[in-house]
Amino acid sequence: MTRKPFLLQNPSVLVVLGLLAAFTLAVTLLSQAYGTGLIPTSTVKILGKTLCLALAAVAMDLVWGYVGILSLGQMAFFALGGYMIGQWLMYARTETIVAASLANNPIPPTPLELQQAVANQIFGVVGSADLPLVWGLAHSLTAQLILVVAVPGLLALLFGWLAFRSRVNGVYLSILTQAMTLALALWLFQNDSGFRGNNGLSGLQNIPGLDAVGQATLSVWFLWASAAALGLGYLLAAWLVSGKFGSVIRAIRDDETRVRFLGYPVEGFKLVVFVLAAMITAIAGALYYPQAGIINPAELAPIASIYLAVWVAIGGRGRLYGAVIGAVVVSLLSSWFTGGRAPDLALPGYVVKWVDWWQVALGLSFVLVTLFAPKGISGLFDWLAGILPPRRHGRDLGPDLGALQEQEAKA
Amino acid sequence: MIHLPRPVIGLALALMLALPGAPALANPQLQAVITENIDQIRKPSRRTVAPLVAQIAATGPEGAALLAAWADRRLGVTEDGRLLIVTGDDATDAATGAAVAGADPDMLRPNSGVRGVIESALVVSQLSDPEPRIRAAALDAIARSGTAEHLQALRDAPADPDAALQARKDRLQTLLTIQHDSDSAARVAAIEALSGDVSLDFRAALNPLLATRVMAATEPPADANIAREITPGSDALSRDAAYDLLKANGTAQPRLTLAAQRDALAANIVDGRAGGVPVADLADPAARDRAYEALEAAGTVTPAATEAEAQAAIDAHRYFEVYAEADAAVTDAARAAQTRAQVRLAAMKGIDLGLDALSLASIYFLAAIGLAVTFGVMRVINMAHGEFIMMGAYTGYVVQTLIAGRTLSLLVALPLAFAVTFLAGVVLYRLVIRHLAHRPLETLLATFGVSIALQQIAKNVFGTQARPLTSPAWLEGAITVNDVISISTIRVAIFVLALLFLGLFLFIMKRTRLGLEVRAVTQNPGMAASMGINPDRIAMMTFGLGSGIAGIAGVAIGLFAKVTSELGQDYIVQSFMTVVVGGVGTIWGTLAGAGLIGGFSKVVESLNPGNTLAAQTFMILFIIIFIQFRPRGIIPQKGRAAEA
Amino acid sequence: MTRLTKLLMLTSALTLANAAWAQEGEPIRIGVLHSLSGTMAISETTLKDTVLMMVEQQNAKGGLLGRPIEAVVVDPASDWPLFAEKARELLTVSDVDAIFGCWTSVSRKSVLPVLEELNGLLFYPVQYEGEESSKNVIYTGAAPNQQAIPAVDYMMEELGVESWALLGTDYVYPRTTNNILEAYLKDKGVAAEDIFVNYTPFGHSDWSKIVADVVARGAGGKKVGVVSTINGDANVGFYKELAAAGVSADDIPVMAFSVGEEELAGLDTANLVGHLAAWNYFQTAESPENDAFIAGWKEFIGDDKRVTNDPMEATMIGFNAWVAAVEKAGTTEVDPVLEAIVGVEVPNLTGGTATVLPNHHLTKPVLIGEIREDGQFDIVSQTEPVPGDAWTDFLPESAVLDADWPGKSCGMFNTETQSCVQVQSNY
Repeated sequence: MTRKPFLLQNPSVLVVLGLLAAFTLAVTLLSQAYGTGLIPTSTVKILGKTLCLALAAVAMDLVWGYVGILSLGQMAFFALGGYMIGQWLMYARTETIVAASLANNPIPPTPLELQQAVANQIFGVVGSADLPLVWGLAHSLTAQLILVVAVPGLLALLFGWLAFRSRVNGVYLSILTQAMTLALALWLFQNDSGFRGNNGLSGLQNIPGLDAVGQATLSVWFLWASAAALGLGYLLAAWLVSGKFGSVIRAIRDDETRVRFLGYPVEGFKLVVFVLAAMITAIAGALYYPQAGIINPAELAPIASIYLAVWVAIGGRGRLYGAVIGAVVVSLLSSWFTGGRAPDLALPGYVVKWVDWWQVALGLSFVLVTLFAPKGISGLFDWLAGILPPRRHGRDLGPDLGALQEQEAKA
Repeated sequence: MIHLPRPVIGLALALMLALPGAPALANPQLQAVITENIDQIRKPSRRTVAPLVAQIAATGPEGAALLAAWADRRLGVTEDGRLLIVTGDDATDAATGAAVAGADPDMLRPNSGVRGVIESALVVSQLSDPEPRIRAAALDAIARSGTAEHLQALRDAPADPDAALQARKDRLQTLLTIQHDSDSAARVAAIEALSGDVSLDFRAALNPLLATRVMAATEPPADANIAREITPGSDALSRDAAYDLLKANGTAQPRLTLAAQRDALAANIVDGRAGGVPVADLADPAARDRAYEALEAAGTVTPAATEAEAQAAIDAHRYFEVYAEADAAVTDAARAAQTRAQVRLAAMKGIDLGLDALSLASIYFLAAIGLAVTFGVMRVINMAHGEFIMMGAYTGYVVQTLIAGRTLSLLVALPLAFAVTFLAGVVLYRLVIRHLAHRPLETLLATFGVSIALQQIAKNVFGTQARPLTSPAWLEGAITVNDVISISTIRVAIFVLALLFLGLFLFIMKRTRLGLEVRAVTQNPGMAASMGINPDRIAMMTFGLGSGIAGIAGVAIGLFAKVTSELGQDYIVQSFMTVVVGGVGTIWGTLAGAGLIGGFSKVVESLNPGNTLAAQTFMILFIIIFIQFRPRGIIPQKGRAAEA
Repeated sequence: MTRLTKLLMLTSALTLANAAWAQEGEPIRIGVLHSLSGTMAISETTLKDTVLMMVEQQNAKGGLLGRPIEAVVVDPASDWPLFAEKARELLTVSDVDAIFGCWTSVSRKSVLPVLEELNGLLFYPVQYEGEESSKNVIYTGAAPNQQAIPAVDYMMEELGVESWALLGTDYVYPRTTNNILEAYLKDKGVAAEDIFVNYTPFGHSDWSKIVADVVARGAGGKKVGVVSTINGDANVGFYKELAAAGVSADDIPVMAFSVGEEELAGLDTANLVGHLAAWNYFQTAESPENDAFIAGWKEFIGDDKRVTNDPMEATMIGFNAWVAAVEKAGTTEVDPVLEAIVGVEVPNLTGGTATVLPNHHLTKPVLIGEIREDGQFDIVSQTEPVPGDAWTDFLPESAVLDADWPGKSCGMFNTETQSCVQVQSNY
C-alpha cells in the first residue's frame, strides 16, 4: 500500500503554513520599517513574541496532547533558551562598549583586562565583579547558539530519563516537572548563581553589531525569524505525529502499559518527544527574549508553565493547530483585557473593571472549557466540518481508567 | 527575656510627684544647667550627652524627675526655652515645679541611644526604689549596658527583698565583675562561678575577653598575652593574608599587581614604546612582562617584590594570635569556661534546630493533610487547595474585625474557617470535580482555573495589601528554655493543632463508619460500591473534610505569617511535595513527608545561614532525586489500590 | 500575573495619535507607568494616583505653557518585560513628553534601553541602589548616600551598634546596598565577623531561624543592630517573629529601608514601637507644605485614613521639577527640558528644597523615624539636604566614577582616566 505524501495526508499543515505566511507578509507591509507604518514597532514586537509563544505551545501539545505527559515545567526550557542567547547578547554588547572605552587608555588592554572590565560592567550592578564560570563561553555566538538547544535538551534528557525510568507518571510527573522549574527559578534568583539574580539579563533588544539597524527594522526581522521558526517547528511536529511514530506515542497516551507489553520501548519514545519538545521550546525562548528585551527568573515561575498548559487546553489539545490558536487567542485577549483599554462592563449595581476581573473570567472559562468543551476552540472546526466523534454512549474508549473519553476522541 | 516598657520610669516619676507633702521647689541650679544647655537638650546626641545628663542628675530630685520625663518623651520645650514636664493635659515647669497652663511646648524626642544614657544615669537611685518594677527596669538597663560604676552601685545596693530580683542582681554583679573588675583573682573567680553556663549574657561577657588579633613578628612579643602561634598556609592564616600583614607592618614590599604594572608601563611610554616594546603589542601579557623587566633593568621603575622574595619574607616571620585582654589568668579561665560550655551549646543548638524543624513540619503537615486525603481517595490533585488555605486566613481576618476579643475571635474563627472551606470544597466537588472523575490531569487544570479565579476575587475583595491577623496575648511571645532553646508560642500552638488533627483524623478513619467507608473506597471503589457504599457521597465528604482542614491551616498560618491573596500559593508547592514525598493513602506518609521536608530544609538552612534561597533550592532538588528512588513516596500504598 | 498580560494592545495602538505639533490649547501628554495589577500594584497604584492628583492641581492652576496636561495611564502589571513594551508604546504611540513611573530596579532597567533609544524622559521616584545615571532619567528617590549610609551612621553614633546583621530580600537593591554598607562598615573598622548578611526570597514567611541567628549574635558581647532591606509582605512575618522572640528596639534595633507608613498598615505595631526606618520624608514631618499635601491627598482620594509616604513625596518633587523645567525651557521637548532641569529648585515637604543635580539626582534631607503605636513615625533625626551620589564612594570600582550631564554629557565618567566609560547606561 502506498502512503499518500505527508502534506496531502495533513492538509491542515498547509493551511496553517499558508496563513502564517500571509500574516507575516501583511505585518511586514504594514510595518514602519518596510511598509505603510500602520502597525507601530511595539505592536510588531508583540506579534513576533506571540508567534514564539505559539511555537512553545506546539511543543507543549506534543508532550501533553500526544504523549500524555502534562509537563508543568515547559517554561523552564523556554527561559533557559532565552538565558543562553541572552548571555551572548549581553556579553558581546558590553564588550563593544568596554573595548571602546579601554581604547582611550595609553596601553591596549590584555584579554584578561578586557574580560574583567566586561564582568565589572555586567555584574557591577548586582554587586560582584568576577565573571562566573557559567559565562565562560559567552563571548562566542556559535557556542551560545549550541547551548540554546544543548542545555535545555540535556536537562530534559536527564530529568526525563530519571523520571520515566522510575515509572513516575500522571499527576506525580506533573508535580515533579513543576518542582523542576521551581528549583531552577529559585536557583536563578540567587545572585550567587551568576545570572544576575532577580535582575536577570537586560538590554537584550540591542543586538551587538546591528546598532545601526534600528528597532523598527529589527522587530520585523525578528518577526520573520519567529514566523520561520514556528513554521518549521510546526512542520516537524506534524511530520512526527503523522506516521507510525505518531501512532505509537498516541497509544502510549491512551494505554502506556499495553504499549509496553506489545514490546515498544515506551521510555525511549517518551524521552525522545520530551527532549525534542524541550529543544523546540528553547528555540522559541531564544527568539522571544531578544524581542522582550529582558529575561529574569520570574519568567520560569511555575505558574507561567501552567498558563502554557491552559492555552493548549483552550485551543484544543491533541492537535497542533489547536495549540497555536490557543496561544495566540488567549495571550492576545489577556493583554487586551489587562491593558486597561477594554471598556468597563456596567452591571446593575456594579461596574466590572476588566483589569480586576479578567483573571476571574479566565479562570472560570478555563473550568468551563475543561468541563464542557474538552476539544477546546479547535473543536469548532470539527463542528463546522461535520465531523462527529464515534458514538460510544458515554463509555471510555479504552478499557482503563483515564483513557480518552468519547468527547475527547477526535477519531 | 522580660522587658518592662519604658513607661515604668514615668511611673516612678509619677509616684515621686504624687508623694504627699513633697512640694516641688524651685531649683535654680537646674534652671542654670537648662539655660546653658538648651540647644543640646533640644538636639542631644548619645556621644556627647553623658556629661549633661550627669550634670542634671547632680541637681537633685528635680533633675532626676526631668531626666525621667525626658527619657519618657514627656518633656517639652517652650519657645522661650523653658522645659515642661507634660502629664496628660497638664504641664509643670521642670525647674520650678510650677504648673503651667495653656502651654504648647515642642515635645522632645530623644532617640533610644540618648534614652539609654539617661536611663543608665538614673539606675543608681532606682536600684533602691521601693517599687519592684522600677528595680527590675534598672536591672534591665544595667544588663543592656553595664559599666564599672554600675558594678559599684550593684555592690553598694541593699539586699533586694524580692528573691528573683536579688538572684538577677547577683548574676549581673558576677557578669560585671568579669568585665570591669580590676582584681584579676575576682574576675577568675567570677568566670569559674559561671563556667559551663550557655546563657547569652555570660557568653557575651566571655567572648570580648577571648577576642584575638594576628600579628607578625620575628620573636614572640614579650608583653603580649599570646593565645597561640599559627603557621602561615593553615586555615587560620592563608599565605596571602600573612603577606598582607607584613605589608601592613611595612616590612614587605607589595607584589606587582597587573594594574600597577600597566600603570607603570603607561607612565613610561617613549616614542610609542614602553621598555622597548611597541605599545600596540602590549595587549599581550608576556610582552608586558618583557617591557617591565626592561624598565626594571634600566632602573626606570622600582623593582617589585618577586614571588620568591614574598615567600621568603613570609617564612622569615612568625605569626601569633594575641588576646586583646592583657591578663593571662583571665583569658585562661575564660577559655576553659568556654570549652566547657561548647558541647552543651552545640547540643542545645541542635535541639533548637530540631524544634524549628518540628514547627515547620507541623505547618507543612497541616497544609498538606487535606491534599493528601483527597488525593488518596480520588487520585486528583486539587490546585485550589492553596486558595482554601487563603480563604481560611481571610475568614480569620474578617472574624477578627467583627469580634473584638482576640481569644474569642480565634475560637470563633477556627470552626468558622472549617465550615467556610468545607462548604467551598463541597461546592467545588459537586460542580467540577465530580464531572471529571478518573481524569486526574483535567482535574488538575480545572482546579487551577478555580485557583486563579479565587485568588483574583480575594484581591478584588480584600485588596493586595497584607491584612493583619493578630494572635491573642497568650499566644504571643515565646517559650524559652534558655537563651539558646526558644520557640515562639504560636508555633507550639500550631504543633499542638497538628497533633490534634492527626488524632482526630486517625479517629475518624479507624473508629467511625465514615472512615471505614473512606478506606473501602480508597482500596477498591468498585467493590465498595457493590457493598452499598455510595462512593460519590464518600468522595464529597472527604473532599469537604480535606478542604476544611486547609481552612484551619489558613488561620494558623495567618497568625504567624501574613494574610495576603498569595498566601496559598506560597504553600501549595510545598504541600504537593509533602504529599508526593510521603506517599499517598496513609496519614503516616504525609506525616513522614512533612517531617522529612521540614527537617531537611532546616538543616540546609543552618549549614548556609546567609542564603535562605539556596536552602529552598536544595530542598526541591533533594525531593526530585528522592522521588527517583522512591517513586511512590516514603510510605507507599500497597496492594491493588496502588496500581490504580 | 505573567505572560498573559504581556501581549497586545492592538486596537488602541492603531488609532494613531497623530503627531501633530503642539498647538495652542492642545494638551501636553505625560505617561504614567506604574503597575496597577500584580504584586507591585499595592505600592505603585498610590503613585499613579499621586501623579493624577498633581496633574489635576496643575490644570487647576491653568495648566502648563497655557496648555492643559493629560495623563496617559498604562498598566505594566508587575511584569518586567511589559514595562519596556509599555514604555515604547507611551513614547511612540501616545507621544508623551515625560513618563512618571517604575518602582523596582528591575523594571527601571527594563525601561532604560527604550528610553535611551527613543530619547524619552523618566522620573523615577523610589529609593534605589545607585550605580547608575542615565541621560533620560531623573532619580527623585534616594541614592544610597541619602538613606543607607546616614542610617548606618545613626545606628553607629546614636545607638552604639557594633555588630551588624544585614537582612535583605534577594534582589538587586538589597544586594548592592549591603555591598556598599559592608565596604563602608569595614572602612569604619568593623571586623568581618561582626557583619552577618542574609538573603531571603520574596514573601518569605519562616523567620524563626533567622531571628534566632540574629539574637545569638549577642553572644559576641557587642551591641547588635539589624539593617533590613526586606521587601514587602515578608516584613509582616519578620516583625511578628521579632516580637514573639521578645526582641525590643532597645536590645536589637531594626533599621528598615523599605518599611513606610503603607507597609505598617498590615501589622499590629504595638510590639514594634521604637524600631526604626530611614527615609527622606515621613507623614509626621512638620511643615505647611506637608499639611497642604496631606490635605490635598485625602481630598483627592476621598479617604481620611489614607497615609502619605516617601515615594509619593519623590513623585511630587519630580512632577514639580518637570513643570519648572518646562516653564524655564518654554517647550516640552526632551533635550531643552533636560538642559533646563539641572539646577531647578523646588520645595520638598520637610521644610527645605530639592535641587536637581548635574548627575540627575536630587538633594534630599535624611530622616530617621521611630515606629509609633499608631503606625506613624516619630522623627528622631533630620539632616540638612544631602546631594545624591550616583556612583558610591565606598566601592573601589565606582569611587572613580562621576556623572555630569550638562558638563561632560556623560553618566559614567572615569575621573582617573578622564574619559567617558559609556554614554548609554548599564542595563
